[in-house]
Amino acid sequence: MKRVTSRVLLAIAVLLPSSAQAQWSTTYEQFYLPGAFNFEFRKNYPAADRLFNAFDYGHAILYERLWTKPSAPASDLEDKEFEFITRHLLVNPPNLPLEEGAIEIAYVKLAPEAKMMFEWAHLLHRQIYDVLADERLSATQKDAKVQEIIRYYKTRKDLAFSSVPKSMELMEGQPYSLAFRKKYPKFNGLIWAYHWLQVGLYEPLIAGKNKDERQSGVAATVTRFRQMIEQPPTWMPRVMPMTPAVAPLFTARYPEAAIIFDNLHSMHDVISDILANPSVSRSQKRAEILKAASRYRDNTSFVMTPDEWREMATMMGVQNMGGPARGFLASFPTPTVERGAVMSHAAMPGMANMPGMQHGAAPAAAPGSMPGMDHSTMPMATDSSKTMDHSSMPGMSGASSNAVAAGNDMAALHKRMMADPVIRARVNADPVMRRMMQNAMNKTSTPTAGRTRATTTKRAAPTTKRASATTKKVAPTTKKAAPKPAAAKPKPKPKVDPMAGMDHSKMDMPPKK
Amino acid sequence: MNPQIQYRNKSFVAWPRFVTRVLSTAILFCAPVTAAAQTDYYNTDTGRPLTVEDASATERYAFELQLAPLRLERSRGVYRWEVEPEIAYGIFPRTQLEIGFPLSYVDLGLGSSKSGLGGVGIALLHNLNVETSIPALAIAGDVLLPVGSLAPDDAVFSAKGIATRTFQWARFHLNGQYSFGADDVAADADDDAGSEVSRWLAGVAVDRTFPLRSMLIGAEVFAEKGRFTGAETRWSAAFGVRRQLSPAFNVDAGIGKQLNGDDRSWFATFGLAHAFALRSLLPGR
Repeated sequence: MKRVTSRVLLAIAVLLPSSAQAQWSTTYEQFYLPGAFNFEFRKNYPAADRLFNAFDYGHAILYERLWTKPSAPASDLEDKEFEFITRHLLVNPPNLPLEEGAIEIAYVKLAPEAKMMFEWAHLLHRQIYDVLADERLSATQKDAKVQEIIRYYKTRKDLAFSSVPKSMELMEGQPYSLAFRKKYPKFNGLIWAYHWLQVGLYEPLIAGKNKDERQSGVAATVTRFRQMIEQPPTWMPRVMPMTPAVAPLFTARYPEAAIIFDNLHSMHDVISDILANPSVSRSQKRAEILKAASRYRDNTSFVMTPDEWREMATMMGVQNMGGPARGFLASFPTPTVERGAVMSHAAMPGMANMPGMQHGAAPAAAPGSMPGMDHSTMPMATDSSKTMDHSSMPGMSGASSNAVAAGNDMAALHKRMMADPVIRARVNADPVMRRMMQNAMNKTSTPTAGRTRATTTKRAAPTTKRASATTKKVAPTTKKAAPKPAAAKPKPKPKVDPMAGMDHSKMDMPPKK
Repeated sequence: MNPQIQYRNKSFVAWPRFVTRVLSTAILFCAPVTAAAQTDYYNTDTGRPLTVEDASATERYAFELQLAPLRLERSRGVYRWEVEPEIAYGIFPRTQLEIGFPLSYVDLGLGSSKSGLGGVGIALLHNLNVETSIPALAIAGDVLLPVGSLAPDDAVFSAKGIATRTFQWARFHLNGQYSFGADDVAADADDDAGSEVSRWLAGVAVDRTFPLRSMLIGAEVFAEKGRFTGAETRWSAAFGVRRQLSPAFNVDAGIGKQLNGDDRSWFATFGLAHAFALRSLLPGR
């Protein structure tokens, strides 16, 4: 009988056209981990729980519109759908988790496997909220239960996102990348605001010492989210919110979950790009989605170390991600990059997998001119013993014009970054970042001529070029400083010493050989 | 449960204590389960609320308990009540095993009544694929065992094919089922207190979902032929609603009418389903 069945199936497989075979999907749903903690978040934090139900709709309708109406004007999503979501749905969110398959009807037929991956990871999200919201569990019990939930999540290897961090190259360096954020900046900001809350809400749940603190903390974070979408897209995240930046407590306590969620949110963006980018033909979209999904599941492609991942999050800046999820001021922090900026840390030490990070692409708070940031005029030591001989550096090929160009880009990048008071303050406050910046300076600055000779690797060089190109493209928009909310604090005046704490003359420079 | 296995019983006119007992038993049965979970209004089952179902199976590792699947039928001024508690389990990926206990209360008139088990139904449904450009397809097989005072004399085996196709504005489901074995020599629903199983059934249903309300409405038309000598093809139409009450419960209700034949009966259904899982059956410990 078994043999007959096999032959029948084989015959069917042979007879089916190849396109049909490619569409034959056998993915399946699985129940989530049962336990007394189930629905505790819903019970204790109903307002936040309902918001997440509304988020289900936002994700689903986005994919559905992108797939079914590729030629529709951007206003369909940017205005109509956005208005409905922010003025109605988020104001009065559904009481129950939504069946996304009933919203993204056509999309789910295109890539049910990807839809199932999202659903499985969203369950992980919700289950962890439930555990953290369960007042009957001690901190130790919560930790154990979260670990159990993660173990259960990972039993579905066909659905589980990798718990190895993926580089930005996977999200921003593909041929289809960035299409969505460019065409739909407002809706993209909304999705990132969702992701901000989805990871940010863990913070008050962890930081709160008792139920009252958790309740008030969650309420504050939810209120912050609502503020974030009040004047779209002004205060929405400008880059993808990274869990280590937005939810540092959660990341420290459950790093594996934090990585999974960043991979999840990253893949959300990737699918948006695939669907929004007309250069990917409709017949290729399913294949591209499945390819991306496979990359987000494996532990080998586009990976970076957890340290690099944390560093990347720090470098991207929480102020560009909507700000911290707790302990925030009344006003939003001033973003330092242009909306949708590409993250390119490729040329930075330890950040080889992060192409993009175009800080030079327009720090909103930093105009093109950078007083006090002319490296050529910096009081650098003239002691010949501290003069760098770049030609002797590893990876340097003497006065290669490419290297010089890349070095110039790097110097420009550095100058623009350091001209921003927020970045400067952050760098100064963070020993790791400061050391990295010093290292970068070591590799790019020549003290006397003010020229840079980069030590970019072959891998990083093209990315640097791309970052440079984008810098030029978006530079004019940098003058449009984001409007501040009424409660915003006045912009800090430039300090007398724009390089406070960053006296390059005191940097450790490599000894001359 | 198998739509073919329709347990047509003698009528009773009042809501009997029997039904109350069944409900209480069912609720008690699920009460010890601490693992509340999510059931799915979007995944329709036979009789919940329509006879024609979709091609989805119960989620892997999930139990779905039909707490109070009631059916009221009125024919020639006589009311018939049926209750069939059943439980389904996602035993394999895209595969559910289901067992049902059709309980009947029959008012034979003149103060006499009869109640009992109308058999034990065991069904296996396997979803072959998730819908893409290809409709979702499923196959199912079931058996109604001759257990209980109102059960058929012999076990009845049936096979079924299901297809589901989703469009922007509605989903369509196609069901076709055939029961094996010889015809009964004679059967009359009014005389026989036991079950009546159709020889074949074919039907189509359409439903429309209101996702923000976690609700769907559906309608169906189906034809069936009795499994006894001289049976005629009966056509019926029905309308139903299914709604999620909470993450763990959903409720359904339906109403329908037989379109041809002498009696042209109408019927109404009501159901409440609860989903849960048992940690000991799940991996990842």
